[in-house]
Amino acid sequence: MVARYSIAIGFIIIFSFSLHLFSSSFDEPTVGDQSRLMAVKMKAVKAGTTTEELKKIVLDANKKDDVIAIAGMQHSQGGHTLYPKGILLDMKPYNKILSLDRQGKKITVQSGTSWAAIQEYINPSGLALQISQSQSIFTVGGSLSVNAHGLSIRNHSLIDTVDSFRLLTAKGEVLTVSREENQEMFPLAIGGYGLFGVILDVTLNLTDNELYEMSSHTLQYEDYPAYFKETVLSDKNYKMHLARLSISPDTFLKEMYVINYALAPHQSKLVDFLPLKREPIVAIPKFFLGMSRINDFGKRTFWETQKNYAKKVQGKLISRNNAMRSDSVFMEYTNPDKTEVLQEYFVPIDEFEHYLDDLRSVLEDDETFNLLNITVRYVEKNEEPLLAYATKDMFSLVLLINQGKDQNSIEQTRKTVQNMIDVTLAHNGSYYLPYYGYATKEQMKAAYPRSEEFFKLKNIYDPDHRFQNLFFEEYGDEH
Amino acid sequence: MNIKQFVLYQGAVGMAASMIFPFYILLLRDVGSSFSQFGWAYGLFALTSALSFPFIGKFADRIGDKQLLLVYSWGMAVLLILFPLAYEIWHVYCLQIAMGLFGAIQKNSEKTVLARAVSKERAGREIGNYHIWTSVAAAIAVIGTGYLVDFLTIGSIFYLASLVFAWSGFFIMKAGSTESIKAGNL
Repeated sequence: MVARYSIAIGFIIIFSFSLHLFSSSFDEPTVGDQSRLMAVKMKAVKAGTTTEELKKIVLDANKKDDVIAIAGMQHSQGGHTLYPKGILLDMKPYNKILSLDRQGKKITVQSGTSWAAIQEYINPSGLALQISQSQSIFTVGGSLSVNAHGLSIRNHSLIDTVDSFRLLTAKGEVLTVSREENQEMFPLAIGGYGLFGVILDVTLNLTDNELYEMSSHTLQYEDYPAYFKETVLSDKNYKMHLARLSISPDTFLKEMYVINYALAPHQSKLVDFLPLKREPIVAIPKFFLGMSRINDFGKRTFWETQKNYAKKVQGKLISRNNAMRSDSVFMEYTNPDKTEVLQEYFVPIDEFEHYLDDLRSVLEDDETFNLLNITVRYVEKNEEPLLAYATKDMFSLVLLINQGKDQNSIEQTRKTVQNMIDVTLAHNGSYYLPYYGYATKEQMKAAYPRSEEFFKLKNIYDPDHRFQNLFFEEYGDEH
Repeated sequence: MNIKQFVLYQGAVGMAASMIFPFYILLLRDVGSSFSQFGWAYGLFALTSALSFPFIGKFADRIGDKQLLLVYSWGMAVLLILFPLAYEIWHVYCLQIAMGLFGAIQKNSEKTVLARAVSKERAGREIGNYHIWTSVAAAIAVIGTGYLVDFLTIGSIFYLASLVFAWSGFFIMKAGSTESIKAGNL
């Protein structure tokens, strides 16, 4: 009897102790972005499905003097969605599609809506997005905050396709923002990295879904700018375009292949290509990408596989909506000690050839730097947002880099990235801000001449820094 | 102890084990970050079982099946309340090693009790009957927990399962020896 009682009491004690520890672990949730390079202890994770709920979160934060970091899918890797002891405002549940104007080709959605959800909604009406990122998993609010761009060569960046939006400010007011109303907030909140308020619902301009015929070529990097200007850009039938640069040791940053999407001659066939495709089987690309992480042999094989894949798309027909739904699962990477980060550089079209020569000489000496993929796309000049990255007609180069998560590896990558940014700046280029903050403050200023103005306006519109994140702390907090 | 009590006991612990087993991969996903770590977690479980079977077998004959079932019930009751606290992958590895040991105790004891309780001639039917009820309990547990996870957190499932194991610990303490079980009486 005594034994039974003591066991019961012992069990109850351990049980309650464990329960107490377990529930207190929720008090300060640890949150990280997709780069898995920073995990930050936040005060709480909050979300709302109505404007009123979101407003209350901001007003409460004002009362308690809490700071808010706004998050969508958290694929920004530079701490744009994180701040220690801050409230993480998870926008993903705020995801209703509010209205679709088929004649006017406009859709209004809440900002937590994913691009994939919009595509599913508008595809039956024969409509398509004007611009989307390469992958459709992101939220509208997140993409707007980084003013993303995509494969389309006939539209600039996302800011072009936005008609209007509502913005929840630091004071808890809801403003309607367009190019006519509260217009000063338009170029600040878009490409504003969550520093000027919570983007609530957004009205986007759409376009018609079309049928494209794909084509591909292999060429050398020095021929690429002329090829792009003369063959692709000048022919209005070409609607989308991307290229890849070799990371294979034999043809490093020299060989390229391009994939073009041109208006197909028989648009009546579009009906056969309307259904949105599912994510295809990813085992094979995943395997080759995995090999390329390991050594030069893997990199050669991966590049050859990519080239062969490109050849196979020749003549394939695809709808605009499907071309804007790229695979992403094969890029998911789960090694516990390493991670994959992105860098993106913009260089004027005419600088491309010499830029690559300089970039090659920086990277060839660097044995530890593990570069897996470079995608090249075109971005038309657009200086509307304050933090504009395309101050001329430019090529964007997205680099996928495999790196360790330990401090040593981070420092090594920092050095290489800073060298690459120096080369980019020397060729009148700039770099993209959503990625890990390897750049120095001076590099940030040089790439974004209006950044000082941007941060000053931040302090005017949000003097208490209600909206705060690690990106702002790193690059803007001296103002 | 009679066969009905044994089925009730096995049904309950089977239920508790089934509650967590398919779902605790969800917890592992929060803690572990790669498939190779999943592989290790399950591999350690199986390896510990393998290494402990020879000892468990000897103990079963020496100290009796009931004592081992007692160790199993209380061991699992305590172990499961440690699971929600794991936040590093090595915590999970340690827990998996302990799970491997207790899993082996249960596996062996269930079989030794039955081996001592069935008549050779009717062994097939008697063991078949026994399994009907324990399997029904497991099925109910898995389906029920699927709904529970929607309402509760995965952490609370562990606490719930731990309570069931604690109950089974008391049950086996109160019950008589397993020697008297006759499987034919079911």
